[in-house]
Amino acid sequence: MSELATLARPYAEAVFKRAKESGNSAEWSEKLAFLSAIMQDDGLSVIVNNPKVDNEKLTQLMQDICQDQLEGESLNFLKLLIENGRLEFAPQIAELFEKYKAEDEGYIEVDVITAYALTKAEEQSFATSLKKKLNKHVNINSSVDSSLIGGFLVKAGDSVIDGSISGQLQQLAKRI
Amino acid sequence: MQLNPSEISDLIKKRIENFDVNVEAHTEGTVVSVTDGIVKVHGLSEAMQGEMLEFPGDSYGMALNLERDSVGVVMLGAYQHITEGDTVKCTGKILEVPVGEALLGRVVDALGNAIDGKGEIDTSETSPVEKIAPGVIARKSVDQPIQLGLKSIDAMIPVGRGQRELIIGDRQTGKTAIAIDAIINQRDTGVKCIYVAIGQKRSSIANVVRKLEEHNALAHTIIVSATASEAAALQFIAPYTGCAMGEYFRDKGEDALIIYDDLTKQAWAYRQMSLLLRRPPGREAYPGDVFYIHSRLLERASRINADEVEKLTGGKVKGKTGSLTALPIIETQGGDVSAFVPTNVISITDGQIFLESDLFNSGIRPAVNAGLSVSRVGGAAQTKIIKKLGGGIRLDLAQYRELAAFAQFASDLDESTRKQIERGQRVTELMKQDQYSPMSVAEMGVSLHAANEGFLDDLEVNKVLDFETALQAYMKSEHADLLKTINDTGDYSKEIKQGIQSAIEAFIKTSSW
Repeated sequence: MSELATLARPYAEAVFKRAKESGNSAEWSEKLAFLSAIMQDDGLSVIVNNPKVDNEKLTQLMQDICQDQLEGESLNFLKLLIENGRLEFAPQIAELFEKYKAEDEGYIEVDVITAYALTKAEEQSFATSLKKKLNKHVNINSSVDSSLIGGFLVKAGDSVIDGSISGQLQQLAKRI
Repeated sequence: MQLNPSEISDLIKKRIENFDVNVEAHTEGTVVSVTDGIVKVHGLSEAMQGEMLEFPGDSYGMALNLERDSVGVVMLGAYQHITEGDTVKCTGKILEVPVGEALLGRVVDALGNAIDGKGEIDTSETSPVEKIAPGVIARKSVDQPIQLGLKSIDAMIPVGRGQRELIIGDRQTGKTAIAIDAIINQRDTGVKCIYVAIGQKRSSIANVVRKLEEHNALAHTIIVSATASEAAALQFIAPYTGCAMGEYFRDKGEDALIIYDDLTKQAWAYRQMSLLLRRPPGREAYPGDVFYIHSRLLERASRINADEVEKLTGGKVKGKTGSLTALPIIETQGGDVSAFVPTNVISITDGQIFLESDLFNSGIRPAVNAGLSVSRVGGAAQTKIIKKLGGGIRLDLAQYRELAAFAQFASDLDESTRKQIERGQRVTELMKQDQYSPMSVAEMGVSLHAANEGFLDDLEVNKVLDFETALQAYMKSEHADLLKTINDTGDYSKEIKQGIQSAIEAFIKTSSW
């Protein structure tokens, strides 16, 4: 996992720099998301990893699949990935790209997990308080997990704020 | 510790009452791979070098390799239950162990948990295992002796409080025996002892504990044990754990003695960890920083001045200096002191006690090689009486060594050479001492005086030890007050010298040996 990120990093950096220069990072983001989505298809990954499929055939195949999605620079990027044999890293590249984009634009993706679904107003108050704490605009992805029993769990990148009943029960269990 | 059910429920009740519910914020990561006690974790972007990381199942690891996308963690203990995808939490703390008086008389593991079955250890204070050694301003020079209770060492290779004196030798040369005697000799001196056993057999540790108990020396001793069956990481941190426990006494103006038995095995444990963490190997496959693991450990053994003690105790202890004396042990292979780790530790310490298997096998125990053993700072700390008498002994032995080889070939020797050889033989004989029978300064003074003044010269070599035993018994029964004065003052004044002289003369007249 960590090794994959190391290999994907230069590509993601290059794409991000190019996207920033040409000012169409939203477009790039869509295209990378599409590429990573198709790479997660089982059938396709078998073909990509098959050493008997040569680069020309693979390029043709990918071009057929992505016909109306990729053009110009993004098509060149696809060809470059195939040429260097790094097509399988497309999901990691997309992920890193999103990270750079978020960092650059000053927002952060935050997962808020609660035991019961949040109302719009609650989500809003989460957003404002998290904005204060993290000093960044937050994009909240809320989800429901009843195993928390009550309270909430906030995940922003590596850091976790555990305000759930199950987490507190675990703390108590350890204490006793 | 046995608890009855009502006590248990009380205890739980109290803990629930004191439990404050707080929102926990921490950094998380995921386990990527688990290999031979080394875990790779993805994430943990805020982990510190040496930080404790919490794994599922109440186990802990120490972050050692901080890389761009992952953290290399060494597990402290079992790791078999950890699987890929487990979450790992940062604790925000560098590894800490309990310290305090309550640890005295106990056997603990490398994390400070009791393993002697005598119940929990009641300490409130903890201390980080890795600390920076006291600075230049905080230090005081070594000028008080610490008596190890062995004639050959206290007379020729004196150790001062705050000194680092290496004990080096092959296997089975009595390295641990010297250390144990040193601990036993601190019974009535108020010096606290810490014995750190690294990579040893559990049976040998049990033996040490039993022997210390037998000689009433366990009460002032902490035993830190990381046996051969424990994880390499625990064997690696055990010396730092022991050092933190010793520093507690040093920092409150007391004297402590720590024994690392032995640092070769710690270096092996560190080599194992480093190779598994894929750090590049160097000479003898040790990593590049193997010197630093020992230098930073031994640098913490020091004597600190009264101002520093006052500062560290918040003004509670005034006018007292604190010291931590270290006796690291290194085991050599086939007498090779020029191997990597022995040379490193020799260069770090303030001298070494060199033990030889040839001497050991020829019955000279402790098997100290007086020629190769040195103490670089201990001379300034020696008691006056031992200093005066020890000089003569050292000289006698040095001359004897020079002549002994030569005398093997020549049959006729002139009078003075023969005398010197005979004196040397008797002094060598006198330097022998039984295990677990350390001697006080006064007892040593009497024996050394007898040798210096030539009382041994008329004895047969094999009678020397009998003579000494009888002399000591005589002195104890007839001149107890003289011995007490010597022990109290440490002086070798004219009266004391005269007193010993006449006592020995009177003893010889009884010829009771």
